[in-house]
Amino acid sequence: MATSRSDGTPSLRKDGASVVAGRPPFRRLLIANRGEIAIRVIRACRELGIETVAVYSDADADALHTGMADRSERIGPAAPAGSYLSIDAVIDAARRSGAEAIHPGYGFLSESATFARAVEDAGLVFIGPPPATLESLGNKLAARRSAAAVGVPIVPGLLVPLIAGGGGSMPIDDLAAIGFPALLKAAAGGGGRGMRRVDRLEEIGAALEVAGREALAAFGDDTLYLERLIAPARHIEVQLLGDRHGNLALLGERECSVQRRHQKLVEEAPSPAVTPSQRAQLADSARRVAGTVTFHNAATVEFLLDRDGNHYFLEMNTRLQVEHGVTELVTGVDLVAWQIRVAAGERLPEAVLAATPRGNAIEVRIYAEDPHHAFAPVAGSISAWRMPAGPGVRVDAGVAAGMPLPIEYDPLLVKLLVHAHDRPAAIARLRRALDETVVGGVQTDLSFLHWLLDEPGFVAGGYDTGLIDDRWGKGPDLSAEEQSLAARAALQARAQFGHGLPHSPALSTRQAPDSAWAAQARREAVGRRRSR
Amino acid sequence: MTGDVELTVNGASVEPAAGWTLTWVDPGAGIAQLTDGSRSVVCLVEGSGSEWVVTLRGRRIPVAARSWRERVLADAESAARQQVGPMEIRATLPGLVVAVSVVDGDQVAEGATLLTIEAMKMQNEVRSPRAGRVSGVSVAAGRTVAAGTPLLRIE
Repeated sequence: MATSRSDGTPSLRKDGASVVAGRPPFRRLLIANRGEIAIRVIRACRELGIETVAVYSDADADALHTGMADRSERIGPAAPAGSYLSIDAVIDAARRSGAEAIHPGYGFLSESATFARAVEDAGLVFIGPPPATLESLGNKLAARRSAAAVGVPIVPGLLVPLIAGGGGSMPIDDLAAIGFPALLKAAAGGGGRGMRRVDRLEEIGAALEVAGREALAAFGDDTLYLERLIAPARHIEVQLLGDRHGNLALLGERECSVQRRHQKLVEEAPSPAVTPSQRAQLADSARRVAGTVTFHNAATVEFLLDRDGNHYFLEMNTRLQVEHGVTELVTGVDLVAWQIRVAAGERLPEAVLAATPRGNAIEVRIYAEDPHHAFAPVAGSISAWRMPAGPGVRVDAGVAAGMPLPIEYDPLLVKLLVHAHDRPAAIARLRRALDETVVGGVQTDLSFLHWLLDEPGFVAGGYDTGLIDDRWGKGPDLSAEEQSLAARAALQARAQFGHGLPHSPALSTRQAPDSAWAAQARREAVGRRRSR
Repeated sequence: MTGDVELTVNGASVEPAAGWTLTWVDPGAGIAQLTDGSRSVVCLVEGSGSEWVVTLRGRRIPVAARSWRERVLADAESAARQQVGPMEIRATLPGLVVAVSVVDGDQVAEGATLLTIEAMKMQNEVRSPRAGRVSGVSVAAGRTVAAGTPLLRIE
């Protein structure tokens, strides 16, 4: 812990002085998020010598992030609208706890200009861009226009908003000109929500209704727009990091084409599809888009890459991305620490500005979702929980054994990341890591991830955003070997533990650690000792 | 050697893999390793009595391991459940009903959207498993439902 701490209000460092000398960039920081990303930020703060304040809803009183921070503040009920999305509740918690800065993580309030402004009005530092930047980028339609204005290619589409329920005002001729299939998107959207594929003009009415409702629920705004569906396409994004002194670091691309419901499941860096000349073009476009806004934060510019290698701007996010870790692994740049340091006014050093990717990193996201049933979210609690370790493995988890999964939030459980000297080695390492991983109590997408690492197209690097629909579907049927192995395991478990024991769900609850398994294991141990 | 115990996966009889043995890694958590001497795979075993779930390479595989007596009881129970007629549609996930697309008396096709439930930030459409007439709609938009809550019937 640092010995000299600033007192009073936070002061931004116009001189760009380094914290390495000892003084932390902030004395105390509040994390306005939950789960794995709250823990990721707590870890960065610990390394920087910053005290941490967690916030939690009633559903998260016993959550990992709540217990891990130096202090925690209750901010409301389980429903996010009254807690993690409540600007007043979060600002109050920051005031109560004496925090100087607020890190929003991703999702929730991370892209809310209103929140960023409220943080500044409260005399605190928002770890993110200025509110005006969030305002201009938050509207995806406006962002498309400004990207096009600086010569960056955009997906052909309709620049005027369609209002769900707007009925007769639909510009039918313009819609037909875009061509089908097309993609209906929420102007205020992101994260795949409020997005619907439209195959024919006649379907647009129904799609508007569903997408509009989802957009309204998720973003409070049901303005929609239509883009031509680029397929097959790869989803590529460029990581940026900017400071308050006009420096911009380009930290390479991430390949994010393994998606379900337009949401990412697997990310890697660098992309196996991008050639050096495409990489240069992507970097140039990313730099142009970045030039249209002011930011001092981590940011991502997202593109689609079509079959012919053309790229199209999708959107820019001036926040931390879920998949930031793969870039951290290949560049060695701690994006979360630098978000905090540049927010405090530090200057990005040459080591960050000139960082170049080394080797290959892959991230897989483990969700409480059933990949054999359209990746539907699964409710329940985590029973067994074993995470991989060893060389080149990073685990960013938000849950632990015994934890119930609140249905109010995203079902992401953990991100597993690996880094190795090349892509085949990274895949082999990830296979090994998945073999070590056990999650019990709920079905997860782990079965899909095991399949993916043996999928020839993925292994060869030749895949696009259609991979799950085209090649996975509902996944392969259970093989005869899988069935007979499962039968062998069940038979032996029954023989050893099955009879005479009460039917016990204790296996899956933290409240009852004395499970039938543990009791039986102890009994056996005692038996062995006696027989000696 | 299965003795008196019959093993079934999804209703079909299965022989336990020959030459493979199970070694407990963490019996308190149900984590074990199956090995045949040259290959091995980590598995998770949950359950008790005759109902087990074995997780292999991330996939949860339900295995029934029943004695003759348990088999007779289970068969009798499933015979009692076999019935034609109205089909109850229940919520498979806890969540918030955001829209009900049908009313009593509607004729629906298989796959038609009946209602939409929001859970874990996703809008999940509940579809009709078969063609029929809707009756007994017992929920409305805005209501929170638990998993298993009856929603409506298809006759």
